[in-house]
Amino acid sequence: MLKAENVVKSYNGSEVLKGVSLEVQNGEFVVILGASGSGKSTLLSVLSGLERADSGNVEYNGESLSQMNDKQLTEFRKREVGFIFQQYYLLSHMTVESNVRMGADLAGNKNFREIISSVGLGDKLKSKPSQLSGGEQQRVCIARALAKNPNILFLDEPTGALDEKTGREVLDYISRLQSERKFTMIMVTHNSNIADMAQTVIKMNSGNIVETYKNTERKNAYAIGW
Amino acid sequence: MIISLKDSIKLVGVTVVCFCAVFVCTFMLSFYIDVQQLNGLLTDQNMRLLYQAQKATAQVCAIVTGGVLAVIAVVMLFFYIKIYIDGHAKQFGIIKALGYSNCKIALTFWIFGFSVFIGCALGFGVGYAFAPLVYNGLAIEGAPEIAVNFHIELLLGLVVAPAFVFTLIACGYAYWALRCPLMQLMRGKTAKIKDKSYKANKERSFLKEMCFKTLASKKSVAFFVAFACFCFGSMMQMGLSMENLASKTMGYMILIIGLVLAAVTLFMSVTTLINGNLKNISIMKACGYSLKQCAFSVLGGYVPFAVLGFMIGTAYQFGLLQIMVNIVFKEVAEVPEYTFNIPAFFITFALFIVSYFSVMAFYVLRIKTISVKEVMLEN
Ligand SMILES: Nc1ncnc2c1ncn2[C@@H]1O[C@H](COP(=O)(O)OP(=O)(O)O)[C@@H](O)[C@H]1O
Ligand SMILES: [Mg+2]
Repeated sequence: MLKAENVVKSYNGSEVLKGVSLEVQNGEFVVILGASGSGKSTLLSVLSGLERADSGNVEYNGESLSQMNDKQLTEFRKREVGFIFQQYYLLSHMTVESNVRMGADLAGNKNFREIISSVGLGDKLKSKPSQLSGGEQQRVCIARALAKNPNILFLDEPTGALDEKTGREVLDYISRLQSERKFTMIMVTHNSNIADMAQTVIKMNSGNIVETYKNTERKNAYAIGW
Repeated sequence: MIISLKDSIKLVGVTVVCFCAVFVCTFMLSFYIDVQQLNGLLTDQNMRLLYQAQKATAQVCAIVTGGVLAVIAVVMLFFYIKIYIDGHAKQFGIIKALGYSNCKIALTFWIFGFSVFIGCALGFGVGYAFAPLVYNGLAIEGAPEIAVNFHIELLLGLVVAPAFVFTLIACGYAYWALRCPLMQLMRGKTAKIKDKSYKANKERSFLKEMCFKTLASKKSVAFFVAFACFCFGSMMQMGLSMENLASKTMGYMILIIGLVLAAVTLFMSVTTLINGNLKNISIMKACGYSLKQCAFSVLGGYVPFAVLGFMIGTAYQFGLLQIMVNIVFKEVAEVPEYTFNIPAFFITFALFIVSYFSVMAFYVLRIKTISVKEVMLEN
């Protein structure tokens, strides 16, 4: 279980997170919904151990992230966490294969080529990110994140830079995978339609959580509006 | 004005190299000219030999230092301009899109020649200030004193000409580097992505692959790393050996020049590597790679070049001193035998290792302060 209690985070004196509390069960698919600038990315970076909260507590399966030192936080990210970002953040001077290996090596995972094939890029192993389309680059990111065998996957606007068709494909792939492998998944988006795919929806507004609700059914990526 | 004076300050590396080159060349060449006052005044056979040897030394020193450092300065200048253009490709693209010609943009790179001028002018001034000391150190016992004279041709050759030539090089190279398609510049790329056919695939771990790829994408840095270690290795040992062979002052001077050159080049190389890989490192950090692994992935590929530079430097100083002692000063009685200075080697080598680990530690500290989120926001 991932639990945040009264998390506060400021940048240069302005509070971006104003006391956020939430609970995410293991294996749950949660969407965090909010307008641009509402603090979603900041929340995600605090929950995933990329950054520390100024006050409040973040706990993962009973371990407090706030009390970990930098080394332990690194170890936590290495062991538990996968990331997918809107801007991909691939290593531009390295091939698709090496980019995915970056995740795979951390987990000692040898079947990274199968993972690349499973995201449909088996014939692009030796391509550089700049030779791929946006959707393909995002699929490399998915492969990189999955190659780590994460227990909890964080996604920050994973379809934000994609067109509708590609966006749906990517979402469909990720959500099917999540149902199969049952890892915890926390996705940030400003597209309220995507929220229909999740089990739990958390709405944010100017650094606060304003609403949390559960969907009775999980829609698939082709059944939601865009 | 597209390029500000502030940008040219980043070229301290070039300035320092020019300073060292002109500094040494100034007093050596001026000694070379002034020592000829003695021509015909020396009657003693031994003194005449010493006089010839000194003239030759001054010439060799000036040519070797001047030549080597001029090449380094040119390479460094290219390197900086390339990095500058790569880093500002988008801006240049926009400026070009607005209708500025390549030529007009390239001309603004004159300011990079300015850093050369500063270095040369300072080196010239300080070189003259040091000249009496050098003349004293080299004075032949019993011979008339040599006066330090000002030579306008040295000012022209060591300050004005280099500044002019380097400015031309800067503008010319910028012009050449900017000649890529506008859209490519706007997308932030200056060089075409080379589609090298892959060699028989070696199975490398990610970290090793990252080492190789970082090295391959910044090959010129390998040259500077090697050069820094070359300077460190050669000048440090030469300085330490000089103490026995010639004057202490000369020894210290060489030692200091070596350390300054090494420190500046190394600092420049490391900062370039850090700044050029900020994003890559932050992604690795986010994934869960440790600080040491991050540092290794970026710096590791350069270690062989550092060692190579150091070894060449050791061989070079040994060879140079051998030539000096056994050929140039062969017939002069009071110069002692020169053999490889083993203590100097071990002292230098120990310091080399210490510096290597300090640089690594510095780098790890720097990586520690990189905020993953901040780097990712910059898009
Ligand atoms: N590292 C940072 N430094 C300064 N300000 C930041 C930083 N990260 C986020 N902010 C500010 O915090 C606010 C929320 O940012 P963010 O969490 O990225 O929102 P969202 O992802 O919901 O669009 C924004 O106003 C942003 O400018
Ligand atoms: Mg965001």
